[in-house]
Amino acid sequence: MTKLIVSGLAALIALAACTTTPEPAPLEFAADTPPPVASADPRVQFKDGERYLSDLSANLNMPREDICKELSRYDCMTDAFRIVLGGVEAPNLLVNEPIENAALTSPIAVDRVALHVCSNRVRMDREKPAEAVLLKTGGFGADGRAKSPDTKWLNTTADAIYGSILMRSPSEREIQNLAAYYSQVAEGRPGNSADVAADWVTLSCFAVASSLEAVFY
Amino acid sequence: MKRLHNVRSAILALGLSVAALSFAAIAPGAPLIQPASAKPPAPMAFCHAYPEAKACNTGFAECAACHTTPPARNAFGMQVSEKLAPGMARPLSDEDFLKYLPAALKAVEDLDADSDGFSNIVEIMAGTQTADANSVPKTLACATDDSTRAASAQWNVCAYDAAYTFKKVHMDFCGRSPLRADMDGFRRITDEKAKLARISEAIDQCLDSPYWLGPNGVVWNIANAKIRPAYAVKSGENPGPVPLGDYDDDYNLFTWANSDDHDVRDLLLAQYFVKRTGPVTLEQISEEELAKRPRGTMQPVPKDKRVGMISTRWFGAVNTMFTSIPRTTAAQAYRSYLGFDIARMQGLNTVPHEPKDYDIKGVGAPECAVCHATLDPLSYPFTRYNGISGGYSYNDDRLKDYVRVDGPRVAEAPAGGMILGQNVADLLEWGKVAANSDAFAMKVTYDYWKLLIGREPDVNDQAEYTRLWRGLKSATTYNYRVEKMLHDLVRTNAYGRP
Repeated sequence: MTKLIVSGLAALIALAACTTTPEPAPLEFAADTPPPVASADPRVQFKDGERYLSDLSANLNMPREDICKELSRYDCMTDAFRIVLGGVEAPNLLVNEPIENAALTSPIAVDRVALHVCSNRVRMDREKPAEAVLLKTGGFGADGRAKSPDTKWLNTTADAIYGSILMRSPSEREIQNLAAYYSQVAEGRPGNSADVAADWVTLSCFAVASSLEAVFY
Repeated sequence: MKRLHNVRSAILALGLSVAALSFAAIAPGAPLIQPASAKPPAPMAFCHAYPEAKACNTGFAECAACHTTPPARNAFGMQVSEKLAPGMARPLSDEDFLKYLPAALKAVEDLDADSDGFSNIVEIMAGTQTADANSVPKTLACATDDSTRAASAQWNVCAYDAAYTFKKVHMDFCGRSPLRADMDGFRRITDEKAKLARISEAIDQCLDSPYWLGPNGVVWNIANAKIRPAYAVKSGENPGPVPLGDYDDDYNLFTWANSDDHDVRDLLLAQYFVKRTGPVTLEQISEEELAKRPRGTMQPVPKDKRVGMISTRWFGAVNTMFTSIPRTTAAQAYRSYLGFDIARMQGLNTVPHEPKDYDIKGVGAPECAVCHATLDPLSYPFTRYNGISGGYSYNDDRLKDYVRVDGPRVAEAPAGGMILGQNVADLLEWGKVAANSDAFAMKVTYDYWKLLIGREPDVNDQAEYTRLWRGLKSATTYNYRVEKMLHDLVRTNAYGRP
């Protein structure tokens, strides 16, 4: 998994707004599409860990109490990362208000939670294919022997990832980006491996779930 | 991220000006550091000169208007001091200070203290900082071309966007995003009034949710800094190792006053307590039930002496503790419910011939008197309310118990005091003056504004922010009902413009 994360970094950078890059590629727009108007008073707010997990829980059909546990025991928000994820703990820690500015470890915690949730979702999908939310069967043709996943499956899965996490349909470009990312995940491995498909869904889910749109509002 | 000085700060900071502009009354070229002395309310004098200035909503301006760290002056303060009765012997008398200040202010109006291209008077009227080049008047208006393009985008950053608001309301009030079907359904609504009605409907549903009203919910957490709970000394349900008081009573009263059709002034007026009967349901406790409580959770202050959140057992336990003149208690009440942090020299309103230093703490020293001339008269009404010593009760003769420790004069401290320039006979009157003040309405509004908008109100928010807190006070608008005010808060551009 670590190798995959590294090899897929370039694609993730383009997808995950939480991640930074030294020289971001300029946005491309069709000739007849003017650039978007920037807000004169931008003030996006961090969802905070509880709202973030609440959304993921509802959207990915995972019970809130089980969705993310560190060491399989400690709830990621209430027990593990409460303060850095914007929560408060007044009676014991005397943290009466959320920290004004994100902590150095806040993005790390968000990434960890996102990866945790996505890994769990894909594991559940593989364990019970009939109830799968993101990783559905049928990617390698009717007989399962195709050398690579068919385009329709890739697009449908990309659509499911965006629809489940951001609750909107992806743009054509967003679908193309995720579909193209499959080949990077599969690099050096059989393209028709179920493990590769699972890794692609996990990392695609992670990229979307750690995006600006998913983490802020 | 550097922000413009916000309106709230500007308003509250003029308390600083009491000290700040006072210090401006020194000769040009004189050392910046001068002995602190109680001066007339210079911030009020500033606002008398500029009643229409954004910073003068409550009649107070900020210390930061003229100072860096008082008494050191900022660039604007230096300009004012140079024009303040030049040639006259220092220090100026209070009368002379007030007499010559308007002319000094007038003389520097067309100067540009921070060289940012905007004159002092333009910045004063706009509410930006005259001594901060990064604080300049700005407009949020979009160019026509931008407005046209923004209107066809997913979120319209040039106007109030109802769909954006609908999504945001769910996040803020319910703690979750709207369901995709609900969001799609909202986007199909074409009538603008119907959109606003749908938003209000969503708010009403969420205001009754555990996320908003429940233990550790949004309203509960607003109260954290006011109640300052400490598990180690909690009594009642789920007690800590050294149980002194049960802050659940405080949280319940706070939630009650901020919800449903309840008057938020009960934070400082209530003579009852509230219990939680379910995750989102509360009800008042009868006096009979209250009297039957075990010793560890009793509320010993008699009903006719109760003053909402500031006379509870917990408030006395963690603030008054063992002190005769409970300055910490008064300062916490002043900060929590009126928004004036005396430690930051906010809300200073010097009372002549104060502090009297009844408990011989040395607060009469000039450098202490700057704040204590306000704080001590603010504290006297709390002197009849016991903290840990005395068992959290009310006692007219309470100060006699402190003579041995604090000297004989401590028993002379009066029950009456002064708040916001008004004499009060006791804590009950203190609570009434506070609850009916502009500062209280502003603080209530400010807490929700900061939570929901995500930042303090700034210069461009002035009109909307003022409308909200004035509406909270108005009997014909929100009549101190927080939930009514919130329905309008989400209709502001500050909230609904992406």
